[in-house]
Amino acid sequence: MNSLKQFILGITATFFVPWLCLIVIPHNKMKAEPVEWADAETGKLFTYPAGKPNIFRQGQIVYAQEGCAHCHTQMIRPTYMGFESWRPDFGKEGTVELPIRIRETRSGDYDGEQFAYLGIQRIGPDLSNVGYRHDENWHHEHLYNPQSKRDFSMMPSFRHLYAKRRIKGQRSEHALANIHFKNDETNEYEVIPTERAKALVGYLMTLKKDDPFSSNVEDGSENNEGDGKAK
Amino acid sequence: MPQDKVAQEDIQRRTAIDRSARFPVLFFITSAAAWLAVAVILGFVQQMKLHSPAFLDAPSLFFLNYGRSNPAFMSALVYGWAIQAGIGVVIWLMARLCRAEVKNPITLIVAGHFWNLGVLIGVLGILTGHGTSIEWLAFPKAVWPILCGAFSLIVIWLITMFHRRQDKEVYISVWYILGACFWFPWIFITANLFIHIFPGSAVAKAATNAWFMGSMIYLVLVPIGLACAYYLIPKIIGRPVHSAQLGYYGFWGLAVFGGWTGIQKFMGGPLPAWMPAVSGAAVIFILIPVFIIVVNQLKTVRGNQSAVNSSPALRFTLAGISFFIIYCVFSALSSFLAIGKFTQISLTSMGTQILVVYGFFSMTIFGAIYFMVPRLTGTEWPNLKRINSHFILSIYAMGTLLIMHYFGGVWQSGAYGKFDAPLENAVSAGKPYAIGASVAWAFIVLANLNFFLNLISILLRSGRREIVSKFVGHQESSG
Repeated sequence: MNSLKQFILGITATFFVPWLCLIVIPHNKMKAEPVEWADAETGKLFTYPAGKPNIFRQGQIVYAQEGCAHCHTQMIRPTYMGFESWRPDFGKEGTVELPIRIRETRSGDYDGEQFAYLGIQRIGPDLSNVGYRHDENWHHEHLYNPQSKRDFSMMPSFRHLYAKRRIKGQRSEHALANIHFKNDETNEYEVIPTERAKALVGYLMTLKKDDPFSSNVEDGSENNEGDGKAK
Repeated sequence: MPQDKVAQEDIQRRTAIDRSARFPVLFFITSAAAWLAVAVILGFVQQMKLHSPAFLDAPSLFFLNYGRSNPAFMSALVYGWAIQAGIGVVIWLMARLCRAEVKNPITLIVAGHFWNLGVLIGVLGILTGHGTSIEWLAFPKAVWPILCGAFSLIVIWLITMFHRRQDKEVYISVWYILGACFWFPWIFITANLFIHIFPGSAVAKAATNAWFMGSMIYLVLVPIGLACAYYLIPKIIGRPVHSAQLGYYGFWGLAVFGGWTGIQKFMGGPLPAWMPAVSGAAVIFILIPVFIIVVNQLKTVRGNQSAVNSSPALRFTLAGISFFIIYCVFSALSSFLAIGKFTQISLTSMGTQILVVYGFFSMTIFGAIYFMVPRLTGTEWPNLKRINSHFILSIYAMGTLLIMHYFGGVWQSGAYGKFDAPLENAVSAGKPYAIGASVAWAFIVLANLNFFLNLISILLRSGRREIVSKFVGHQESSG
């Protein structure tokens, strides 16, 4: 063990194998090849993954910069690991219905993304399919003041992505409704999203990781025409 | 008498080595301590923010939101404090173990400045909203070449040092140091290239990130921590390591399994199932070398209770080793599906990182610092009580964090597992534990306040000055 060469050879050999198997090969082999499949009933052809990035990348950058992934996952594990895909109050606002096809996330769902933000901790709900759950206004109001939507929320306010300004003439069409101003500011001020906020919400609206990948997948929604990526 | 003469020469030689190492080592230790201060304050803030977003919620303080303060804290802790303090201790260990004086310290100082610059840009980058949200790689992309260049300089210096060694025997600590020097650049460059530069599957990148963390822990932090322990324990006790053979097996066991770890975090995730399975198996198998290492060290200490009681350095090191074994056992348990589904992406995952970086690595490094700095400065630690409070508060805080993060994580995941319960139940489940962890963080801040005050005083030379430090205990054995 007194020779540096022997030592380096030893640790290279022991480290090279896991490096090759866990990093190099998966990076080359996991590029998802689109697979065509035909719907058993209609005979219509689909591909999975669709081959184009399904997400709004600008918004994903904001998602990363604000550190959303530290509390939210984008990974639905099989049910033997937990129930992450849906809860009673996940439904569209005011309803308890199941809004989405539910299945675990697969590698192809992240196709075309720069990095799969699978998640670090799960402090808030899983966001894999958040695009189905709310509309844009809800997201803006929620980001501006999370506790106004969920009083138990531990999410911080993302006020810095919004601008509060004095109303000049017409109210902006983008101005957030349901914002509680202090005193008599309600008629004088409005809150409008910055480009970053719009990008972030745009990204959240595109989070629909549920592309059907074969005819065997049960489709929970009534509208199963197309690839479900209307956005 | 000739024996006395040899011993005298030995002491003189060691003093000369310590003197030559003084400037670069103290540079790394003090700047690491400054980053530790930043990290523990951010640590407290991010923990408070986790359960009470209204804490420090002025409109101008938006940069402290959990999503930014958490990665800033973790990066400052890992890159600012842990690795930097590790480098400082490693330089001194190498000088001592190779019995060669430090030459060309300018290389180290330049590298150190670049490292600090990189970490500074990185932490500010995260706080100002340029982070990447990638665990332990949250710095803006531009930072990693700076860190990589700085570390490479240090590696070149250490290898040169190894070649200049006066002592032909290669101690076990040197294997660990050389191992870490070799693994860190490989792991760090691989992770950054594959995540930031090369195109490829997004999921494979997430897996690379998980692998990066596992490898950083088992092949960088653990070897440096063990190098300190393998040096300090025999040194303070005054007898050689129990078994060189066990040391050999322990090292190569770690080398064989360490590179496979990490991906068990994504059990059940969208990866090919064999990847988390292999990682999980490696984390379980790694218990074999870990037990070998720990038995070897405990056997060395056995029967020397008095040394443990009188030497703060040894106490810190042994506490570090205890947290190390707790970490390894918990990680192995979490690699089983039945337990892992509760622990992998919950409060537990953050607790595990803090356990290994603070509980194991930092405690061991504190031990080395308490041993080393008096010898470098020729001054005693000015305040023994502060060392004791640092120790006791750290142990209490770490114990509390452990309970809060582990029970909290399991409880929280259990609540998420109830499919028919509303979201509120699941979100609220972790809250009491997050509050408990905040209290523990307050203790960590207090504990390290003692450390900083002591370090500042000793650097300003307010302690009792002696040529040979007796405080940290015991006549050093030669070698």
